[in-house]
Amino acid sequence: MNWPGKGLAKGLAVTFRQMTRRSVTAHYPDALPELPPRTRGVIALIEENCTSCMLCARECPAWCIYIDSHKDVIPATTEGGKDKTRNVLDRFAIDFSLCMYCSICVEACPFDALHWSPEFEYAELDIRELTHEKDRLRDWMWTVPAPVALDPGAEEAKEIGVAEKAAERAAAAQRVVEPVETTTGDLDKLDQPKEGDT
Amino acid sequence: MTDVAADGREHVVVGIGDGAAGFGGHERGGGTPGGLATQDMVLNIGPQHPATHGVLRLKLTLDGERIVDCDPVVGYMHRGVEKLFEVRDYRQIIVLANRHDWLSAFSSELGVVLAVERMLGMEVPTRAVWLRTMLAELNRVLNHLMFLGSYPIELGAITPMFYAFRERETLQAVMEEISGGRMHYMFNRVGGLKEDIPAGWVDRADDAARAVRSRMPQIEDLIFGNEIFQARTRGVGVLSRELIDAYGVSGPIARASGVDFDLRRDDPYLAYQELVDDGVMQVITQEEGDCYARFGMLLDQVQVSLDIVEACVDRLRSLDRGPINVRLPKILKAPEGATYAWTENPLGINGYYLVSRGEKTPWRMKLRSASFNNIAVLPEVLTGCVVADMVAVLGSMFFVVGDIDK
Repeated sequence: MNWPGKGLAKGLAVTFRQMTRRSVTAHYPDALPELPPRTRGVIALIEENCTSCMLCARECPAWCIYIDSHKDVIPATTEGGKDKTRNVLDRFAIDFSLCMYCSICVEACPFDALHWSPEFEYAELDIRELTHEKDRLRDWMWTVPAPVALDPGAEEAKEIGVAEKAAERAAAAQRVVEPVETTTGDLDKLDQPKEGDT
Repeated sequence: MTDVAADGREHVVVGIGDGAAGFGGHERGGGTPGGLATQDMVLNIGPQHPATHGVLRLKLTLDGERIVDCDPVVGYMHRGVEKLFEVRDYRQIIVLANRHDWLSAFSSELGVVLAVERMLGMEVPTRAVWLRTMLAELNRVLNHLMFLGSYPIELGAITPMFYAFRERETLQAVMEEISGGRMHYMFNRVGGLKEDIPAGWVDRADDAARAVRSRMPQIEDLIFGNEIFQARTRGVGVLSRELIDAYGVSGPIARASGVDFDLRRDDPYLAYQELVDDGVMQVITQEEGDCYARFGMLLDQVQVSLDIVEACVDRLRSLDRGPINVRLPKILKAPEGATYAWTENPLGINGYYLVSRGEKTPWRMKLRSASFNNIAVLPEVLTGCVVADMVAVLGSMFFVVGDIDK
């Protein structure tokens, strides 16, 4: 049966039914949102990891990362040895008024110095304040969540494979040192952990 | 007075004033019965007009209430994206590609990576293909929900927006969990996707899709049967097949006029071929071609997309362990040549014509966006309408201004 106003009444019925249900609106800032760990809120910097290689600044599509650095000379520790140089980071700043939150710098960093944090409450009245210098970026680091566990269908992270191999090597090296039965010259060489392995 | 229209229905015209041109018996510019000549008026709508959701400007030439000419002025949001593509490497292009149509970010990213992958002859891992399909469909649902909420608002019905946004929020939570973004996902990479699926995400996505499906009847009941809504949309702004062919209109708008064309079936990419063979992916068309049919298409397409999402969830659960992307060289260069990749974006055909000279940036990347063609046909549809119908027609063309202006 089709009586006039039927569609309207049907719509109102939905509204009335909904009125009896609990509201889904979250009252920010009284209720803070629960954000997933991957949320791109703000970029945090581990200054200690940064080698000022400039990869992030070059890859950034908005050119919003500013890096200044200089080389420090570490005098040779042995007589007649070579002096070593080391990059020292003077300035690392991200201008969040330009940033497009694309995550390319975090991906490009070969030393895991940049990380995403879900924090988002850093609005400012003055646009210049949106340029976060390195100490402020370092502070965001405390809010960075641990990466999420992956789906069972996911391929193992390559770090796990590397770590397992390193652990095996370390275990083998220990076996080599303690019992003498199986020690051969070849094994000895193979099991030496190489420099740089972790 | 009554006037019998071509479709046999009687139109009642109440009140005849100076601007009654076009109504029964009144010629354009005929003036008042007393013999006073009337003048056409140019009415400027926009660029800042709430009903244009963006900065689209329309110059309407009016004869009384009747629109005799419409001139869409586009370009207020022109960002020169094609030129910017030329100085960005392929990963940086994805950042820009998901911004021209901010409601179909994932689908727009997809076109770029599909083009580059085709140039490289790259094989994408199966899990990535199915996950991409699923996310593209979730993105389609998000897009359609936006218009299912915003179109009634333009016609004065506020309530459906809240229901549509609740559903959007449900799905956005899932999208945010996997990609980290709510609108600009930036989750596609050449050769696959950025990161693997978080543990338990597939179940949560499945729950979200089911929850949305279970609540879609609410949106349907709220607005589709509404007499006021129907009176304002049925038979208004009918788009003919000839106009669709002439202007290259695509997507749900074209299918609402009976054009049976959907790239997901007609030029399958991702996993769509299999979904079509399984009968999950269906192309829905309607015949009327009016505002109501266009709006109805959205609801039907949401149902189909949710079916596809469910099929993808089943598939992702049963797939073998494997990678989600291909390891890329440090510097990615597309080989010399050209290709055209097009995808069925939520709003219509989105195409990228990529010309590479073997550099790490494209030599030229032409963007064919759906909204541009869909809005180009607007003058043809609007001519002859009354001003009150302008918003109904404009809103039902489903466009994003960023997608028009690029």
